[in-house]
Amino acid sequence: MAKPLVRLRVVEIGVGVALLALVLRAAQVQLVEGRRHAAAARAQRTEEVVLDARRGTLFDRHGTAIALTQETYHVGIAPNELRDPARDVATIARQLRLPQSDVQRGLRKRYAWFAGPFTALEVQPLRTVRGVHLEPLLRRFYPSREFARAVIGRVGEDGRGGGSGGGGLERLLDSLLAGTPGSAVVLKDREGREYVSPARVIAAPVSGNDVILTLDAELQEIAQRALDDAIDNMQADGGDVVMLDPATGEILAVASRRADGSMRPSAFTETFEPGSLAKIFAAAALVAFERVRPTERVSGEGGRYRLPDRVVTDEHPLPSLTLADAIRVSSNIALVKFSARLDPDEQYGVLRAFGFGAPTGVEFPAESPGRLRPPREWSRPSSASLAIGYELAVTPIQLAAAYGAIANNGVLLQPTLIREIRAPSGAVRYQHRPEPVRRVVTPDVAAQLRDLLRGVVEAGGTAERAALANFQLAAKTGTARRVVSGRYAAGQYTASFAALFPAGQPQLVVVMKIDNPQKGSYFAAQTAAPVTRSMLEQALAARTVALDRARLSNVATTADRAPLEEPDGVVPYVVPWPYVRDSGQAQPERTVPNVTGRPLREAARTLHARGFNVVVKGWGVIHHTWPAAGERVAAGTTVTMFAEPPPVSRP
Amino acid sequence: MAVRGRHWIAFWLVALLAALWMVIARQTAALNSARALNDLREERASLEGRRAEQERRVRTAQSRAVLLPRAQKQGLRLPADTEIVLLPAPPSERPF
Repeated sequence: MAKPLVRLRVVEIGVGVALLALVLRAAQVQLVEGRRHAAAARAQRTEEVVLDARRGTLFDRHGTAIALTQETYHVGIAPNELRDPARDVATIARQLRLPQSDVQRGLRKRYAWFAGPFTALEVQPLRTVRGVHLEPLLRRFYPSREFARAVIGRVGEDGRGGGSGGGGLERLLDSLLAGTPGSAVVLKDREGREYVSPARVIAAPVSGNDVILTLDAELQEIAQRALDDAIDNMQADGGDVVMLDPATGEILAVASRRADGSMRPSAFTETFEPGSLAKIFAAAALVAFERVRPTERVSGEGGRYRLPDRVVTDEHPLPSLTLADAIRVSSNIALVKFSARLDPDEQYGVLRAFGFGAPTGVEFPAESPGRLRPPREWSRPSSASLAIGYELAVTPIQLAAAYGAIANNGVLLQPTLIREIRAPSGAVRYQHRPEPVRRVVTPDVAAQLRDLLRGVVEAGGTAERAALANFQLAAKTGTARRVVSGRYAAGQYTASFAALFPAGQPQLVVVMKIDNPQKGSYFAAQTAAPVTRSMLEQALAARTVALDRARLSNVATTADRAPLEEPDGVVPYVVPWPYVRDSGQAQPERTVPNVTGRPLREAARTLHARGFNVVVKGWGVIHHTWPAAGERVAAGTTVTMFAEPPPVSRP
Repeated sequence: MAVRGRHWIAFWLVALLAALWMVIARQTAALNSARALNDLREERASLEGRRAEQERRVRTAQSRAVLLPRAQKQGLRLPADTEIVLLPAPPSERPF
């Protein structure tokens, strides 16, 4: 047995070693592993959460929201926290528009979860219900679901344009719209539930940019509705409409639809053979290279012209035709004969210069370049085929841009869908300016081409049914055989129409294409042309469309309208009604009111209120009318108001 | 009079209580602010939702799909271009 002192010493050493081990272990925990333990402790008590950035809004050119981001909610319910389960279940089921049985079944679990997402309005009454927990979630919202859906596209399931399911402009502009997510740290309890405590923001989320598109909501609706009606009435396979401002290249409306109701962006991505719509480009080459004189005629060959490899026919043959006649009646034979004077490089060069065979550069993903083969790949009939719009595949947007070049005095502009990009602060980051691609033809040649197109809408032209009474159109019809699976399908045609409105100073290029109209005529003159006319009439009657009515008022060609002495006015005034019945019906007679001495606007209102149509000559105050005041004429009669400048009072 | 030990203890106790009170007061104020902020955020979300819903309804009500059938029922129709009068405006320097 050891002595007590020795035993005491042993105990002391043991305690010392234990203390040393404790200190060393403490040092190891604190100094060596301190960071790891601190991180683990932080992870148990705190959580870093992602703060979603608000995605930018897409607007139309007038500021109407097309796609915006809204806060929506998932709803979680803790059944044991509910104060009055019976009443609360009824409230929850009503607000979430769920069957009560579903809610009750959910509440049998420890925690019920309804993914929704539910809108702020739906969950508003639930905010005060104890036991209901709302989890906010930013979600894309389209106020008008069908508005330009093919172009706008949709965000994917992850809320990003680039994710699966995303497409269209939402996908293309994703990096601009998405913004930058932020992050914050929140405190949690042992169970992982967040404390009601202010989050520590590490990085604030930055909202995405707002994008103002060039689309005009009202024109877009007109185009979509006209296309829907045309497809339904003509039992067509589908169709496209493009409206473009030729002075800026801005696309004002673009609609695409298939017969089954699906909308794919075929105006940008799907090609067709334009047929007679391309004849104006052959004419452009002939005029630009001076291969034809205005009075020069070629024989119509009785409507049947035999080439070495093929036979060319005309629907309505004329004995002989000038180039203007050839465009007016859309003669295949005359165009083939005239274009034989062009060498392949010239013909190809002009088509290429108008933008065919290359993407237009519009901001749309997967735009098709179309097809235009270089002369070295041509076969013997290629030149004749190209002159009448075959062996050439184009998209509606390419056609609109090319016709836009004719309207824009020969300068081809890059079409665009984006007008402006604004930072969340409102600062303008990008503003569209017209982007000329190249000069295709001289202004003089462009004016001659517009004159050729004017003839198409005049009496005897193929687009007579598209003519407006007060405004001149320059237009071209095209009816081409349809290619299906690489072959011409028997009895299937594409009816297309391109119009410049008005012909003098075009403000609008309209391209309409109807695929395989089966009910009634398949000719563009009877299908696409009247629909385009209807769209233009609706555009004129609408108040907010992107038409410069001050300029329009000066180009209106009402036969009995006197030219203005000083046509630089700035006060356009549209009188879209009166709601007179069809003029074919017998109209009761009524007295023309006396509007002498009244201002134009007031006089027009008075006459319209009485059921008369109004034509104005001059400006200022009304001097007299014809028929004169007091005469009895049928309702709907056009009353001409003769106005004179008001007397200038001198002091 | 010399400050005795018990006075020091009392002083430090009071100082500690004051510091604790300040911490609690600040925390309470922060929590109240957080709640108020949250309420405002919820209210804003709710108002935004309401505005979006109203805009959607206005857009639907203004659409041609709704308006045209109603107008036609009342005997109205879209005007032909001949019925649309664009009044030429006077030059700006003269009174209208």
